[in-house]
Amino acid sequence: MESLAIYVPRLVTTKEYFAPGHRACMGCGEALAVRLVCKALGRNIIIANATGCMEIVSSPLPSTSWEVPWIHTLFENTAAVASGIEAGIKVLRRKGKYTKRTKVVAMAGDGGTADIGFQALSGVLERGHDLIYICFDNEAYMNTGIQRSSSTPLGASTTTSPAGKVSIGQTTWKKNMPAIAVAHDIPYVATACHSYPFDLMNKISKAIEIKGPSYIHILSVCPTGWRLPSDLTIKAGRLAIETGIFPLYEVEKDRYTLNLDFPQLRPIEDYFKLQGRFRHLSKEITSQIQERVAAEYAKLKKKATSNNY
Amino acid sequence: MTEKDKTIEIRWHGRGGQGAVTSAELLALAAIEEGKFAQAFPSFGPERRGAPVLVFNRVSDVNPIRARVSVTNPDIVVILDPGLIYITDVTSGLKEGGVLIINTTKTLVDITSELNGPWKLAVVNATSIAREMLGVPIVNTTMLGALVKATGIIELESLTEPLKERFGARAKGNIDACRKAYEETEIAELSGIVEKPRKTFETETFPSWQELLPGCVVTEAGNAKQYRTGDWKSERPVLDHQKCIKCGICYLFCPEGCIGQNEDGYFEANLYYCKGCGICARECWTEAIKMVEEE
Ligand SMILES: Cc1ncc(C[n+]2csc(CCOP(=O)(O)OP(=O)(O)O)c2C)c(N)n1
Ligand code: SF4
Ligand code: SF4
Ligand code: SF4
Repeated sequence: MESLAIYVPRLVTTKEYFAPGHRACMGCGEALAVRLVCKALGRNIIIANATGCMEIVSSPLPSTSWEVPWIHTLFENTAAVASGIEAGIKVLRRKGKYTKRTKVVAMAGDGGTADIGFQALSGVLERGHDLIYICFDNEAYMNTGIQRSSSTPLGASTTTSPAGKVSIGQTTWKKNMPAIAVAHDIPYVATACHSYPFDLMNKISKAIEIKGPSYIHILSVCPTGWRLPSDLTIKAGRLAIETGIFPLYEVEKDRYTLNLDFPQLRPIEDYFKLQGRFRHLSKEITSQIQERVAAEYAKLKKKATSNNY
Repeated sequence: MTEKDKTIEIRWHGRGGQGAVTSAELLALAAIEEGKFAQAFPSFGPERRGAPVLVFNRVSDVNPIRARVSVTNPDIVVILDPGLIYITDVTSGLKEGGVLIINTTKTLVDITSELNGPWKLAVVNATSIAREMLGVPIVNTTMLGALVKATGIIELESLTEPLKERFGARAKGNIDACRKAYEETEIAELSGIVEKPRKTFETETFPSWQELLPGCVVTEAGNAKQYRTGDWKSERPVLDHQKCIKCGICYLFCPEGCIGQNEDGYFEANLYYCKGCGICARECWTEAIKMVEEE
């Protein structure tokens, strides 16, 4: 567990920019992640938000949970809209009509990021816009009813990759979006999870200070889609990290840091057995996944240690 | 048109995750099994697990069903969660001589005094039956038993195949729960004038779409605060002041951001928003929070 200081409110702002009254499912990790992100972002931002759970639950007309400027975007153009806003601000500033230092933030789910909005995101990272792109990864298209995305982990049962007699569920490995972002050679890439709130908020604060694009990938537990009791959201997030399935790390100009390193990873069964979407997995498949997780973790660790030249 | 030609319309009131959609589908399948015409569909919206949901059925002995609109004048209303009585207008449009079926711990006498009207009233403690027979308080299949008892719309036996098909190895528990509810449902014929129960929350005041700026701009930041999500919960967090060390961990992890510090420094949930997820109780390291069932 993250070492939480005894008295939380002294460490975080008690101000909320993501208002209650939102329609997320009870126990939604993505809503918690958004709330923490907004705390860390503060007031001086503009958010462009793709269709997906967080758009739908936060802004059914005529109500909105956003306490900051926010614009709804489509799946395919979230990053493009954000880059347009950023470019607009730049021009206004050059003309002396705008002096505030406003950060532009793009937000989307894993479907909006790794699949449909991928081209716009790649364009933004390549062009080097000064903005933060945040992917809230609940590992499927949850808003439309738990369809698999390219970010769904191997073996997970979803409505379009249902497990059954002939199928193990999702048949491909989870797309490594943070690695793809790193490959664009941008100043800052990080992974985070709502179960480690201070780590998450620190990374957002860091991204605000960075000039140029940052990409933050947040594992967001979805009790509905993962078939998990709603009170286990935080625990499931912790287990994803403790098992090495979703390591917390950051990459600053090619320098890798593992934020939480474990001498011994927990077996992935600990993580799987909480969730209905993995319940059908056989021993063989589980050990195959275990091997892959260990190998990926070792690779990451090597990158992190080889920094320390 | 004879009584037999009539299409019977049913409206289910449940909460996201309670399985109202599944019950309606099972009912339709059972009716089709009997050679009837039937239809089942939910009302869609951005409402999630725990939120009030509506599901509709149409069943006819002889006529194909062509209507594709939601049911506004039901012959039968089924309520899966007793809390819904106080927050939504559950008897809205219910026909005179219709049937109102409620899952409640209250007795027929008590509930009649709250919800009188010109209809047949049926009550059953489906939550306790489901807990006993299924081990979980998921009442959808249990309420099917109550529905069959109160209306005779299908034969109880016709549900067996659809239940087996849907639940496989877990079908037996569901069939047993269904049968037990059938046996335990109590029914009264009422004739009183309609009395609607008093709502527990005031209504929200959102602008209408005509009042919004072009481009659907909402200018009142964070006005979702007016929308109460507190009625979604079936359990509420209760704080033990003796054990609380005022650390604020519960506050940090609440997805609703509805835990605040009061004057005495204790962290208390705002029940207007709390959805009862139980995260605060699970994460509190001193175990100062307990989830207790909502009444
Ligand atoms: C181009 C396009 N295709 C499909 C849709 C329908 N749609 C809305 S939300 C959604 C799923 C969103 O999934 P994800 O981005 O992972 O976010 P989540 O809902 O899981 O938070 C889909 C398919 C759409 N809005 N636009
Ligand atoms: S479906 Fe999942 S991500 Fe979407 S609101 Fe519900 S819990 Fe949150
Ligand atoms: S987490 Fe527990 S001990 Fe800490 S403030 Fe909340 S109720 Fe009190
Ligand atoms: S149960 Fe606790 S964590 Fe969940 S919504 Fe209520 S106050 Fe928040």
